[in-house]
Amino acid sequence: MAVVDGVRRVRAGRIALYLTLGAISVVMIVPFVWMLLTSVKTPADIAAFPVRILPTKWAFGNYADALQAAPFATYARNSFVIAASHTVLNVVIASMAGYALARLRFRGSQLIFLGFVGALMIPTYTKILPEFLIVRFMPLFGGNDITGQGGTGWLDTWWALIIPGAVSPFSVFLFRQFYLDLPVELEEAARLDGLGELGIYARIMTPLVKPAFITVALLTFEGSWNNFLWPLLVTKSDSLRVIQVGLSVFRTENDTQWAFLMAGTTLATVPMVVLFLIGQRYFVQGFATAGIK
Amino acid sequence: MTGTMVPERVREVVAGPATNQPRRLLRSRRRAGLLMVAPALLHALIWIGIPLVAAVVLSFTSYDVLTPPRFAGLDNFRELVHDDVFRRAVLNTSVYTFFTVPVAMTIALLIALMLNSKLTGRAIFRTAIFIPQVTATIAVALVWLWIYDPRSGLANAILSFLGLDGPNWLSSTSWAMPAVIMVGIWQGIGLKMLIYLAALQSLPGELYEAASVDGASKVRQFFSLTVPLLKPATFFVFVTSVIGAFQSFDQVYILTDGGPANSTTMMTYEIYKSAFREFRMGYACAQSLVLFALLLMLTLVNRRITGGDRGSR
Repeated sequence: MAVVDGVRRVRAGRIALYLTLGAISVVMIVPFVWMLLTSVKTPADIAAFPVRILPTKWAFGNYADALQAAPFATYARNSFVIAASHTVLNVVIASMAGYALARLRFRGSQLIFLGFVGALMIPTYTKILPEFLIVRFMPLFGGNDITGQGGTGWLDTWWALIIPGAVSPFSVFLFRQFYLDLPVELEEAARLDGLGELGIYARIMTPLVKPAFITVALLTFEGSWNNFLWPLLVTKSDSLRVIQVGLSVFRTENDTQWAFLMAGTTLATVPMVVLFLIGQRYFVQGFATAGIK
Repeated sequence: MTGTMVPERVREVVAGPATNQPRRLLRSRRRAGLLMVAPALLHALIWIGIPLVAAVVLSFTSYDVLTPPRFAGLDNFRELVHDDVFRRAVLNTSVYTFFTVPVAMTIALLIALMLNSKLTGRAIFRTAIFIPQVTATIAVALVWLWIYDPRSGLANAILSFLGLDGPNWLSSTSWAMPAVIMVGIWQGIGLKMLIYLAALQSLPGELYEAASVDGASKVRQFFSLTVPLLKPATFFVFVTSVIGAFQSFDQVYILTDGGPANSTTMMTYEIYKSAFREFRMGYACAQSLVLFALLLMLTLVNRRITGGDRGSR
């Protein structure tokens, strides 16, 4: 009897566990479902009261109309160009720096590493105002003279969107951690074979930390695609607008067009969800070892 | 952080002290090292080093971008002390941080514990809970803006289905903050859960077997084994989450614009407003230094309480 009770209790516990986890998962997913459903509703369905969960008529044309109402395709392209540039630049520059700090210890390298770690603690909002001023007063750009006066500098240019985010101390930090764990014998053997330090980095050590590259690449791409405040501050023209800024502007200019807005939001979120589902292993590894978004 | 130093020490033992190597080789390594670190270092000096110094310098000036900065001594800081809106922002940021960090961490730990068992479909649950984390805050805040719509939004539709009268969420001084906090918890819980899950999976199973043999109950095991063993993870999640929560901006920008009646304004939002709506760069820099100082203080206090990150990884 006692055994049967025990089995029953375990089974009840299992069911409760599944129900709880199921409920939590539903709460996490529902906003996305609501977004998708809204994006294919007619204005009448959206305005209906009481609220209709499912559309009475599936208006898939909303997507084409949304692209007409605002250049979401251009916004998405801009976001993609910036995110891809940040990814390539970060992976190349930060991996070199991370490698040097991990394996080629030279006078001052410890200090430089501590500087990068310290930089992780500095809030974006402390840096962003002077960064804006540097961009604004960039000498010899955008009509500025050598002292940075007279024009608009890098404001409203690709430079401002790409250069400040080209390397993050966080990427340097991550790469250093990954390179640290490699065996020193490999490096020594390659050196005996007459390979230069750059060659050892590029041809011997880097192929061994490929997962690290994918992790940093995915995190950088995601962070860049989702970034909002910086592109908001440094761009004005529609042709340079990124998707997140485009969405927020569309919302203020077209107050109640929820179907179009949700179509645009779908465009802004779906690529990241797909990217996550494909590279889940690396995302999880990266976030779990790093934790900072 | 101490744990991460170990490989270096091991490496030194294996490779021998650097001085035993030929001078020529050392020189070429140093040159290569400097060369490889130079681009990242230069970038950091321009986009982090200079801005940090500039923020401190500008905080003692009055500066509207169009005319050169004027030295203002401690005026900005004096004004800050009496700035009721900024004080409100500090309070709001603290409330927001309390709910989206310690409270959300507890929930995340509970979910991680539930997921840390042999469970079919575990990956599906984990993915579902994590997805809000990878999507842009601006985009999901827009979705929540629509969910919170008092008339046609999903939130009040569900409440009315349950026979309840939903509030005017974002235009109510008492409900706007909870609404913003809910979005924060919803988006941030996945990452905290994931780090806890990774930490739980690396706990030594033998300890638990020994504890079971000694007759320690599951609850006792949780408090005497799991909680202390998770300390490094807790410290890590806490610090990174506080840094994130203190810098929340996007959801406020979309959902409430800091209102109604400053009930949801945050430090970051006041910095943004001072700098880019009122063009008071000096004052905004002073505000940003307060944000920085509070963050540092919280990190140090937490390091004290949890015994720091000793033994991490």
